[in-house]
Amino acid sequence: MNGNMELIGRISKGSKMDQVYIPKNRSGMNTGEYVIILPLGKRTEEKSIFKPYFYNIKAIEPIKMQIIEEVFSMVEREASAENIIITGSFLEQGFKFNDLDILIINEEKVNTEALKQKIEKTLGIKAHLIFLDAKTLLSGLSTDPLYSLMLSKCVSKKRITLKANRKINYKLLDIHLLKSKNLIDNFDLLSGNEKYYLILNVLAILLFIQDKNLNKELINREIEKIFSVNVNKIKENMLKKERFVKKYKEIYNKTFQLIMESIKNEQK
Amino acid sequence: MNRNRLLELFCANLSNAIVHQILETAIDVPEISEKYVKEVKSSWEIAKNYREKINPVNRSLPFHDLEEIKAKVINSVTTELKLRIDRGYTNINLSLVPEFVEKALKELSVI
Repeated sequence: MNGNMELIGRISKGSKMDQVYIPKNRSGMNTGEYVIILPLGKRTEEKSIFKPYFYNIKAIEPIKMQIIEEVFSMVEREASAENIIITGSFLEQGFKFNDLDILIINEEKVNTEALKQKIEKTLGIKAHLIFLDAKTLLSGLSTDPLYSLMLSKCVSKKRITLKANRKINYKLLDIHLLKSKNLIDNFDLLSGNEKYYLILNVLAILLFIQDKNLNKELINREIEKIFSVNVNKIKENMLKKERFVKKYKEIYNKTFQLIMESIKNEQK
Repeated sequence: MNRNRLLELFCANLSNAIVHQILETAIDVPEISEKYVKEVKSSWEIAKNYREKINPVNRSLPFHDLEEIKAKVINSVTTELKLRIDRGYTNINLSLVPEFVEKALKELSVI
Protein backbone atom coordinates (compact mmCIF):
# COMPACT_ATOMS: atom_id res chain seq x y z
CA MET A 1 0.00 0.00 0.00
CA ASN A 2 3.06 2.23 0.27
CA GLY A 3 2.73 3.23 -3.35
CA ASN A 4 -0.45 5.09 -2.40
CA MET A 5 1.14 7.17 0.35
CA GLU A 6 1.07 10.92 -0.13
CA LEU A 7 2.60 13.55 2.13
CA ILE A 8 2.01 17.25 2.15
CA GLY A 9 5.05 19.38 2.91
CA ARG A 10 6.00 23.02 2.67
CA ILE A 11 8.98 24.23 0.71
CA SER A 12 11.36 25.98 3.06
CA LYS A 13 14.16 28.28 2.08
CA GLY A 14 17.69 26.97 2.30
CA SER A 15 21.01 28.73 1.86
CA LYS A 16 22.06 27.06 -1.39
CA MET A 17 18.97 24.95 -2.17
CA ASP A 18 15.37 24.99 -0.94
CA GLN A 19 14.00 21.84 0.71
CA VAL A 20 10.86 19.97 1.74
CA TYR A 21 10.98 18.31 5.18
CA ILE A 22 9.04 15.05 5.62
CA PRO A 23 8.54 13.10 8.88
CA LYS A 24 11.12 10.42 9.68
CA ASN A 25 8.30 8.17 10.88
CA ARG A 26 6.67 7.11 7.66
CA SER A 27 5.87 3.97 5.74
CA GLY A 28 7.60 3.93 2.37
CA MET A 29 9.41 6.79 0.58
CA ASN A 30 12.74 5.58 1.88
CA THR A 31 15.93 7.61 1.81
CA GLY A 32 17.47 7.42 -1.65
CA GLU A 33 14.15 6.79 -3.44
CA TYR A 34 13.08 9.21 -6.15
CA VAL A 35 9.78 11.02 -5.65
CA ILE A 36 7.68 13.50 -7.61
CA ILE A 37 6.96 16.91 -6.13
CA LEU A 38 3.89 18.66 -7.45
CA PRO A 39 2.14 21.87 -6.43
CA LEU A 40 -0.70 20.88 -4.10
CA GLY A 41 -3.42 22.75 -6.03
CA LYS A 42 -2.55 21.10 -9.30
CA ARG A 43 -2.32 17.61 -7.71
CA THR A 44 -5.77 17.79 -6.13
CA GLU A 45 -7.27 19.06 -9.36
CA GLU A 46 -5.76 16.20 -11.33
CA LYS A 47 -6.50 13.38 -8.92
CA SER A 48 -9.85 11.80 -9.66
CA ILE A 49 -11.97 11.34 -6.58
CA PHE A 50 -12.53 7.69 -5.63
CA LYS A 51 -16.27 7.37 -5.10
CA PRO A 52 -17.53 3.80 -5.37
CA TYR A 53 -21.14 2.73 -4.88
CA PHE A 54 -22.06 0.85 -1.72
CA TYR A 55 -24.92 -1.60 -1.47
CA ASN A 56 -26.14 -2.65 2.01
CA ILE A 57 -22.84 -1.74 3.63
CA LYS A 58 -23.21 0.20 6.85
CA ALA A 59 -19.51 0.64 7.57
CA ILE A 60 -16.21 -0.45 6.12
CA GLU A 61 -12.70 -0.27 7.53
CA PRO A 62 -10.51 2.45 5.91
CA ILE A 63 -7.79 -0.08 5.06
CA LYS A 64 -10.35 -2.12 3.09
CA MET A 65 -11.29 1.02 1.17
CA GLN A 66 -7.63 1.43 0.22
CA ILE A 67 -7.54 -2.19 -0.94
CA ILE A 68 -10.72 -1.71 -3.00
CA GLU A 69 -9.28 1.43 -4.62
CA GLU A 70 -6.09 -0.45 -5.43
CA VAL A 71 -8.05 -3.37 -6.91
CA PHE A 72 -10.18 -1.07 -9.06
CA SER A 73 -7.14 0.73 -10.43
CA MET A 74 -5.25 -2.55 -11.01
CA VAL A 75 -8.20 -4.08 -12.90
CA GLU A 76 -8.54 -0.94 -15.00
CA ARG A 77 -4.85 -0.88 -15.79
CA GLU A 78 -4.68 -4.55 -16.77
CA ALA A 79 -8.03 -5.11 -18.45
CA SER A 80 -10.91 -3.17 -19.82
CA ALA A 81 -13.96 -3.42 -17.58
CA GLU A 82 -17.41 -1.91 -17.85
CA ASN A 83 -17.82 -2.32 -14.13
CA ILE A 84 -15.96 -3.85 -11.20
CA ILE A 85 -17.78 -5.28 -8.21
CA ILE A 86 -16.31 -6.39 -4.90
CA THR A 87 -18.40 -8.80 -2.88
CA GLY A 88 -18.21 -11.66 -0.39
CA SER A 89 -16.64 -12.12 3.03
CA PHE A 90 -14.18 -9.27 2.48
CA LEU A 91 -17.04 -6.84 3.08
CA GLU A 92 -18.03 -8.39 6.39
CA GLN A 93 -16.90 -6.46 9.45
CA GLY A 94 -13.43 -7.40 10.68
CA PHE A 95 -10.62 -9.26 9.02
CA LYS A 96 -11.81 -12.85 8.98
CA PHE A 97 -12.38 -12.88 5.23
CA ASN A 98 -11.24 -15.88 3.18
CA ASP A 99 -10.52 -14.14 -0.07
CA LEU A 100 -11.38 -11.16 -2.18
CA ASP A 101 -14.29 -11.81 -4.57
CA ILE A 102 -14.00 -9.59 -7.62
CA LEU A 103 -16.58 -9.53 -10.41
CA ILE A 104 -15.41 -8.02 -13.66
CA ILE A 105 -18.24 -7.00 -15.95
CA ASN A 106 -17.26 -6.67 -19.58
CA GLU A 107 -18.44 -7.71 -23.02
CA GLU A 108 -15.05 -8.98 -24.13
CA LYS A 109 -13.37 -11.76 -22.22
CA VAL A 110 -10.68 -10.73 -19.76
CA ASN A 111 -7.59 -12.80 -18.92
CA THR A 112 -8.55 -13.29 -15.29
CA GLU A 113 -5.68 -15.64 -14.40
CA ALA A 114 -2.90 -13.08 -15.03
CA LEU A 115 -4.89 -10.42 -13.23
CA LYS A 116 -5.58 -12.72 -10.30
CA GLN A 117 -1.88 -13.44 -9.90
CA LYS A 118 -1.03 -9.75 -10.06
CA ILE A 119 -3.61 -8.85 -7.43
CA GLU A 120 -2.49 -11.67 -5.14
CA LYS A 121 1.18 -10.69 -5.53
CA THR A 122 0.54 -7.00 -4.92
CA LEU A 123 -1.96 -7.24 -2.08
CA GLY A 124 -1.02 -10.57 -0.53
CA ILE A 125 -4.70 -11.52 -0.47
CA LYS A 126 -6.17 -14.55 -2.21
CA ALA A 127 -8.34 -13.27 -5.04
CA HIS A 128 -11.32 -14.95 -6.65
CA LEU A 129 -12.09 -13.36 -9.99
CA ILE A 130 -15.30 -13.91 -11.87
CA PHE A 131 -15.71 -12.60 -15.35
CA LEU A 132 -19.23 -11.91 -16.64
CA ASP A 133 -20.92 -9.89 -19.32
CA ALA A 134 -23.74 -7.54 -18.33
CA LYS A 135 -26.38 -9.76 -19.92
CA THR A 136 -25.30 -12.84 -17.93
CA LEU A 137 -25.25 -10.79 -14.75
CA LEU A 138 -28.78 -9.58 -15.34
CA SER A 139 -30.08 -13.02 -16.23
CA GLY A 140 -28.25 -14.46 -13.20
CA LEU A 141 -29.95 -11.94 -10.94
CA SER A 142 -33.37 -12.94 -12.17
CA THR A 143 -32.88 -16.72 -12.12
CA ASP A 144 -30.12 -17.57 -9.69
CA PRO A 145 -30.48 -17.04 -5.92
CA LEU A 146 -26.72 -17.13 -5.49
CA TYR A 147 -26.31 -14.09 -7.73
CA SER A 148 -28.90 -12.17 -5.71
CA LEU A 149 -27.21 -13.23 -2.52
CA MET A 150 -23.75 -12.38 -3.81
CA LEU A 151 -24.80 -8.90 -4.88
CA SER A 152 -26.99 -8.17 -1.87
CA LYS A 153 -23.88 -6.67 -0.26
CA CYS A 154 -21.28 -5.20 -2.56
CA VAL A 155 -19.14 -2.26 -3.60
CA SER A 156 -19.08 -1.35 -7.26
CA LYS A 157 -17.20 1.11 -9.39
CA LYS A 158 -20.30 2.18 -11.26
CA ARG A 159 -23.93 2.11 -10.25
CA ILE A 160 -25.64 -1.26 -10.68
CA THR A 161 -29.31 -2.16 -10.91
CA LEU A 162 -30.07 -4.93 -8.48
CA LYS A 163 -33.80 -5.09 -9.18
CA ALA A 164 -34.56 -7.91 -11.54
CA ASN A 165 -37.82 -9.76 -12.07
CA ARG A 166 -37.42 -13.22 -10.63
CA LYS A 167 -37.92 -16.12 -12.99
CA ILE A 168 -38.10 -19.64 -11.64
CA ASN A 169 -35.93 -21.97 -13.70
CA TYR A 170 -36.66 -25.27 -11.98
CA LYS A 171 -33.74 -27.08 -13.58
CA LEU A 172 -31.28 -24.51 -12.35
CA LEU A 173 -32.69 -24.40 -8.83
CA ASP A 174 -32.82 -28.19 -8.63
CA ILE A 175 -29.18 -28.52 -9.59
CA HIS A 176 -28.28 -25.87 -7.01
CA LEU A 177 -30.26 -27.63 -4.32
CA LEU A 178 -28.66 -30.98 -5.06
CA LYS A 179 -25.35 -29.55 -3.87
CA SER A 180 -26.80 -29.26 -0.37
CA LYS A 181 -27.70 -32.95 -0.28
CA ASN A 182 -24.06 -33.45 0.66
CA LEU A 183 -24.87 -32.29 4.15
CA ILE A 184 -27.23 -35.21 4.71
CA ASP A 185 -24.82 -37.78 3.28
CA ASN A 186 -21.61 -36.42 4.80
CA PHE A 187 -22.56 -34.69 8.04
CA ASP A 188 -19.60 -36.11 9.97
CA LEU A 189 -17.13 -35.28 7.29
CA LEU A 190 -17.89 -31.62 6.67
CA SER A 191 -16.37 -28.67 8.48
CA GLY A 192 -18.55 -26.09 10.20
CA ASN A 193 -18.06 -23.55 7.42
CA GLU A 194 -18.94 -26.12 4.75
CA LYS A 195 -22.10 -27.03 6.66
CA TYR A 196 -23.02 -23.37 7.00
CA TYR A 197 -22.57 -22.81 3.26
CA LEU A 198 -24.81 -25.79 2.38
CA ILE A 199 -27.54 -24.60 4.77
CA LEU A 200 -27.26 -21.06 3.39
CA ASN A 201 -27.66 -22.50 -0.11
CA VAL A 202 -30.94 -24.27 0.76
CA LEU A 203 -32.36 -21.23 2.51
CA ALA A 204 -31.36 -18.92 -0.35
CA ILE A 205 -33.22 -21.16 -2.79
CA LEU A 206 -36.25 -21.41 -0.51
CA LEU A 207 -36.51 -17.64 -0.02
CA PHE A 208 -35.93 -17.08 -3.73
CA ILE A 209 -38.86 -19.32 -4.66
CA GLN A 210 -41.01 -17.67 -2.02
CA ASP A 211 -40.12 -14.32 -3.64
CA LYS A 212 -38.65 -12.99 -0.42
CA ASN A 213 -35.73 -10.62 -0.04
CA LEU A 214 -32.30 -12.17 -0.13
CA ASN A 215 -29.35 -11.06 1.91
CA LYS A 216 -26.99 -12.82 4.25
CA GLU A 217 -28.32 -11.22 7.45
CA LEU A 218 -31.90 -12.19 6.58
CA ILE A 219 -30.89 -15.75 5.77
CA ASN A 220 -28.86 -16.01 8.96
CA ARG A 221 -31.89 -14.91 10.97
CA GLU A 222 -34.02 -17.47 9.13
CA ILE A 223 -31.46 -20.24 9.81
CA GLU A 224 -31.42 -19.34 13.51
CA LYS A 225 -35.22 -19.33 13.61
CA ILE A 226 -35.64 -22.67 11.83
CA PHE A 227 -32.85 -24.62 13.50
CA SER A 228 -32.88 -22.81 16.86
CA VAL A 229 -29.14 -22.48 16.72
CA ASN A 230 -26.75 -19.56 16.41
CA VAL A 231 -24.99 -19.45 13.02
CA ASN A 232 -21.64 -19.17 14.79
CA LYS A 233 -22.30 -22.55 16.40
CA ILE A 234 -22.81 -23.98 12.90
CA LYS A 235 -19.57 -22.42 11.68
CA GLU A 236 -17.78 -23.78 14.74
CA ASN A 237 -19.14 -27.24 13.87
CA MET A 238 -21.05 -27.58 17.13
CA LEU A 239 -24.34 -28.92 15.73
CA LYS A 240 -26.20 -31.75 17.40
CA LYS A 241 -26.44 -34.21 14.52
CA GLU A 242 -29.72 -36.08 15.01
CA ARG A 243 -31.91 -33.09 15.81
CA PHE A 244 -30.32 -30.96 13.13
CA VAL A 245 -30.39 -33.51 10.30
CA LYS A 246 -34.06 -34.25 10.95
CA LYS A 247 -34.99 -30.57 10.60
CA TYR A 248 -32.61 -30.09 7.69
CA LYS A 249 -34.20 -32.95 5.75
CA GLU A 250 -37.61 -31.32 6.29
CA ILE A 251 -36.41 -27.99 4.87
CA TYR A 252 -34.52 -29.69 2.05
CA ASN A 253 -37.58 -31.72 1.04
CA LYS A 254 -39.90 -28.71 1.33
CA THR A 255 -37.59 -26.74 -0.98
CA PHE A 256 -37.39 -29.66 -3.41
CA GLN A 257 -41.22 -29.94 -3.47
CA LEU A 258 -41.57 -26.21 -4.19
CA ILE A 259 -39.08 -26.47 -7.05
CA MET A 260 -40.97 -29.41 -8.50
CA GLU A 261 -44.30 -27.59 -8.12
CA SER A 262 -42.92 -24.75 -10.19
CA ILE A 263 -42.66 -27.17 -13.14
CA LYS A 264 -46.46 -27.08 -13.43
CA ASN A 265 -46.47 -23.28 -13.50
CA GLU A 266 -43.85 -23.29 -16.21
CA GLN A 267 -45.85 -25.70 -18.33
CA LYS A 268 -49.07 -23.63 -18.09
CA MET B 1 -14.80 -46.15 9.88
CA ASN B 2 -15.57 -49.72 8.87
CA ARG B 3 -15.48 -50.91 5.27
CA ASN B 4 -19.25 -51.24 4.87
CA ARG B 5 -19.82 -47.67 6.02
CA LEU B 6 -17.09 -46.46 3.64
CA LEU B 7 -18.76 -48.31 0.75
CA GLU B 8 -22.11 -46.82 1.70
CA LEU B 9 -20.75 -43.25 1.75
CA PHE B 10 -18.83 -43.87 -1.46
CA CYS B 11 -22.04 -44.97 -3.20
CA ALA B 12 -24.08 -42.04 -1.82
CA ASN B 13 -21.61 -39.44 -3.05
CA LEU B 14 -21.00 -41.10 -6.38
CA SER B 15 -24.77 -41.31 -6.94
CA ASN B 16 -25.12 -37.62 -6.16
CA ALA B 17 -22.35 -36.75 -8.63
CA ILE B 18 -23.96 -38.84 -11.37
CA VAL B 19 -27.45 -37.41 -10.74
CA HIS B 20 -25.82 -34.01 -11.12
CA GLN B 21 -24.11 -34.99 -14.38
CA ILE B 22 -27.34 -36.31 -15.88
CA LEU B 23 -29.34 -33.25 -14.78
CA GLU B 24 -26.74 -31.10 -16.51
CA THR B 25 -27.44 -32.90 -19.76
CA ALA B 26 -31.15 -32.09 -19.24
CA ILE B 27 -30.58 -28.33 -19.11
CA ASP B 28 -31.67 -26.95 -22.45
CA VAL B 29 -29.48 -23.83 -22.33
CA PRO B 30 -25.86 -24.84 -23.05
CA GLU B 31 -24.34 -21.74 -21.40
CA ILE B 32 -26.09 -22.60 -18.15
CA SER B 33 -25.09 -26.24 -18.40
CA GLU B 34 -21.42 -25.31 -18.91
CA LYS B 35 -21.53 -23.01 -15.93
CA TYR B 36 -22.70 -25.77 -13.60
CA VAL B 37 -20.31 -28.48 -14.71
CA LYS B 38 -17.97 -27.50 -11.88
CA GLU B 39 -20.67 -28.10 -9.28
CA VAL B 40 -20.45 -31.83 -9.74
CA LYS B 41 -16.91 -31.69 -8.41
CA SER B 42 -17.68 -31.63 -4.71
CA SER B 43 -19.57 -34.96 -4.54
CA TRP B 44 -17.07 -36.46 -6.96
CA GLU B 45 -14.10 -35.40 -4.82
CA ILE B 46 -15.73 -36.78 -1.65
CA ALA B 47 -16.50 -40.08 -3.43
CA LYS B 48 -12.88 -40.19 -4.62
CA ASN B 49 -11.63 -39.65 -1.06
CA TYR B 50 -13.78 -42.53 0.19
CA ARG B 51 -12.57 -44.75 -2.64
CA GLU B 52 -8.99 -44.07 -1.57
CA LYS B 53 -9.83 -45.52 1.84
CA ILE B 54 -11.38 -48.73 0.51
CA ASN B 55 -9.04 -51.65 -0.01
CA PRO B 56 -7.71 -52.68 -2.46
CA VAL B 57 -6.88 -49.05 -3.26
CA ASN B 58 -4.87 -49.39 -6.48
CA ARG B 59 -6.78 -52.09 -8.28
CA SER B 60 -10.34 -53.14 -8.97
CA LEU B 61 -12.56 -54.17 -6.10
CA PRO B 62 -13.61 -57.84 -5.76
CA PHE B 63 -16.41 -58.91 -8.08
CA HIS B 64 -19.08 -59.17 -5.36
CA ASP B 65 -18.30 -55.59 -4.17
CA LEU B 66 -18.30 -54.33 -7.70
CA GLU B 67 -21.68 -55.86 -8.52
CA GLU B 68 -23.17 -54.53 -5.31
CA ILE B 69 -21.81 -50.99 -5.82
CA LYS B 70 -22.94 -50.87 -9.43
CA ALA B 71 -26.46 -52.05 -8.60
CA LYS B 72 -26.72 -49.69 -5.64
CA VAL B 73 -25.55 -46.60 -7.58
CA ILE B 74 -27.71 -47.35 -10.64
CA ASN B 75 -30.71 -47.88 -8.38
CA SER B 76 -30.14 -44.75 -6.35
CA VAL B 77 -29.52 -42.51 -9.40
CA THR B 78 -32.57 -43.90 -11.20
CA THR B 79 -34.81 -43.35 -8.15
CA GLU B 80 -33.62 -39.73 -7.77
CA LEU B 81 -34.21 -39.03 -11.44
CA LYS B 82 -37.61 -40.74 -11.55
CA LEU B 83 -38.68 -38.53 -8.66
CA ARG B 84 -38.22 -35.61 -11.01
CA ILE B 85 -39.62 -37.20 -14.17
CA ASP B 86 -42.83 -38.07 -12.30
CA ARG B 87 -43.30 -34.41 -11.49
CA GLY B 88 -42.90 -33.27 -15.08
CA TYR B 89 -39.18 -32.59 -15.29
CA THR B 90 -38.35 -32.75 -19.00
CA ASN B 91 -35.37 -33.97 -20.99
CA ILE B 92 -33.96 -36.45 -18.45
CA ASN B 93 -32.48 -39.41 -20.27
CA LEU B 94 -32.63 -42.46 -17.98
CA SER B 95 -30.80 -44.62 -20.50
CA LEU B 96 -27.65 -42.61 -19.70
CA VAL B 97 -27.54 -43.99 -16.16
CA PRO B 98 -25.71 -47.34 -16.69
CA GLU B 99 -23.26 -45.71 -19.09
CA PHE B 100 -22.42 -42.86 -16.67
CA VAL B 101 -22.12 -45.26 -13.72
CA GLU B 102 -19.81 -47.59 -15.66
CA LYS B 103 -17.61 -44.69 -16.71
CA ALA B 104 -17.42 -43.29 -13.17
CA LEU B 105 -16.53 -46.66 -11.66
CA LYS B 106 -13.73 -47.08 -14.19
CA GLU B 107 -12.37 -43.63 -13.41
CA LEU B 108 -12.38 -44.40 -9.71
CA SER B 109 -10.61 -47.76 -10.19
CA VAL B 110 -13.56 -49.72 -8.89
CA ILE B 111 -13.74 -51.75 -12.10
